[in-house]
Amino acid sequence: MNQSTAIAFMRRLRAGLDSGLELPEALTRGATALPGDARETIARILDRLDGEYPEDEWGFDEDFAELVEPFFAFLYESWWRVGVEGAERVPAHGRVLLTANHAGILPWDATMISMALLREHPLPRHPRFLVLDWAFHLPWVSSGIRKVGGVVASPFNALRLLEQDQLLAVFPEGVKGTGKAFSERYRLQRFGRGGFVEIALRTGAPIVPVAVVGSEEIYPKIADIPPVARMLGAPFFPVTPTFPWLGPLGIVPLPSKWRIEFLEPIETASYGPEAAADRALVLELSEQVRGQIQHALYANLVRRGPAFI
Amino acid sequence: MAGRRVLITGVGSQVGSLLAAQLERDPDVEYVAGLDTRRPRLRLEHTEFIDADIRDPEIGRLIPRTGVDTIVHEQIVRQPGPRMSSRAMHDINVIGTLQLLAVCERVPTLRTIVVRGSAGVYGAEPQAPQFFKEEMTRLFPLRTRFQRDVAEIENYFETYSRRHAGVSCTMLRYQPAIGPGMRTQVTRYLSQPVCPTYMGFDPRIQLVHIDDALGAIGAAVRNPVPGTVNVACPGTIGLARMIRLAGKRALPIAAPFFGAVTSTGQRLGLDSQSEDFQRLLRYGRGVDTRRLTDEVGYTPRLSTADGVEDWARHAKAAA
Repeated sequence: MNQSTAIAFMRRLRAGLDSGLELPEALTRGATALPGDARETIARILDRLDGEYPEDEWGFDEDFAELVEPFFAFLYESWWRVGVEGAERVPAHGRVLLTANHAGILPWDATMISMALLREHPLPRHPRFLVLDWAFHLPWVSSGIRKVGGVVASPFNALRLLEQDQLLAVFPEGVKGTGKAFSERYRLQRFGRGGFVEIALRTGAPIVPVAVVGSEEIYPKIADIPPVARMLGAPFFPVTPTFPWLGPLGIVPLPSKWRIEFLEPIETASYGPEAAADRALVLELSEQVRGQIQHALYANLVRRGPAFI
Repeated sequence: MAGRRVLITGVGSQVGSLLAAQLERDPDVEYVAGLDTRRPRLRLEHTEFIDADIRDPEIGRLIPRTGVDTIVHEQIVRQPGPRMSSRAMHDINVIGTLQLLAVCERVPTLRTIVVRGSAGVYGAEPQAPQFFKEEMTRLFPLRTRFQRDVAEIENYFETYSRRHAGVSCTMLRYQPAIGPGMRTQVTRYLSQPVCPTYMGFDPRIQLVHIDDALGAIGAAVRNPVPGTVNVACPGTIGLARMIRLAGKRALPIAAPFFGAVTSTGQRLGLDSQSEDFQRLLRYGRGVDTRRLTDEVGYTPRLSTADGVEDWARHAKAAA
């Protein structure tokens, strides 16, 4: 926006307020002096103030997701310089279970998988993702995560989302993944009890393994202080080169270089929903997915080269 | 199913009175009785009003002679009113239910019991699944007195229905109600000059509009389904958006001070929220309503957001 339009906007706003209009109406009038896209943004902000915005039953708010997209786009393009491979392997319709490795306290990897699909997939859609329930105790974090598509990591939520034919991302390493020490990076932890496979079998959703390289260097955890974690009710309290030394700045993730690879989908529908009760099959599939991701992680680490350059 | 004879407990409440009026209009219902110490809020045409306290063993003499085949248990107190102690609320909820069940043993014509219970029994928890199903009651500890009351009531009815195979017992778990002219915790909350919220939290709230609340009881009376059934309008609404739609302003309060600020407000004559409702304002709650649609056969006409808009329209027109 150049200077003269800004002045014209302020003048109209002022004239509107002087003539006795309420602030929202005055803003609308002022906005007529602005170029089209700015006018649209203002209209959207005003609608939000009236409560006129879409929101689905999960609390996902597509408008909000679009409003914050430029921030994630910056991280995606400039900060982490994400390279993507195989995005087209993710089915464009119907239920899909994305299964990825996980690191870092905040679900940055989920947001980057989301960006990768929005940017690289021919028919993009917003994935939903399961987030460690601890995040939902926290102010701001809880509502922010929900508005961009996060839900509490509960099998009931996963089942319902897949029954609604959504694209769902899960991180079976769970808290063991987020709390990994730096020396353990890219070594996949145990995949829980294979709950994600049970859910895929019950709903017949194909599993798409995803390997994310880069996310495990953004918060290099050197140590853990369990007493502080207990005090805060957190699963762990990480010490990184920047946290907690730099205070809030310490949560700025390091600018590593990222690669995200989507692998070939593993179809599960042919086993039938009863197969979810078959322990051996569940553990076998779980191990197969884990092996594929681990393999792809090593391959992509080599292809990426140095972590920060 | 013609010629039904129905007794409503708590007919002096808003929902109780509206329900009596609805049953009077129903051609399949030949007789309606209402039990309460408070008079009904509406002019009812031919409902027989039984002026008795549900906690009083006297009802053991009054109810059997009505010869009812259906009892709708509506007298469950959700929040103690201004002149009611929490002790009295507990007595009405738990002792009242016990007395009522004792009477049920002595009504040989009884075939159906429908209870307007509460989804509050699930609690409001940050790590809760986003839609509770009927079988998910034991996921979290019962934290408030009201939750423990509801759980106890549910237990009594469960035991009763196990011992009486001939009586179908439906436990309806209601989300908080909203509707024009209704005085519920939600409408009182939204009628305040400012609505206190937890800073940084925007929980998903799910409500039931009064029309659908009544419709669901009506359907459960016509088509008794044994067991528990969630009752709510589909969809949820963020608290911030709900307050906006009501045309109000939110007053965000940091969580550690929320109780202190609201109890000061209460001393100054502002409205107060029950412990259950405060937890709802922080973490929210959603329930799965497929059983209501598929088994009871009732499809709510409004969504939660529609319900809030309907209330806000009437509230603005009345102001």
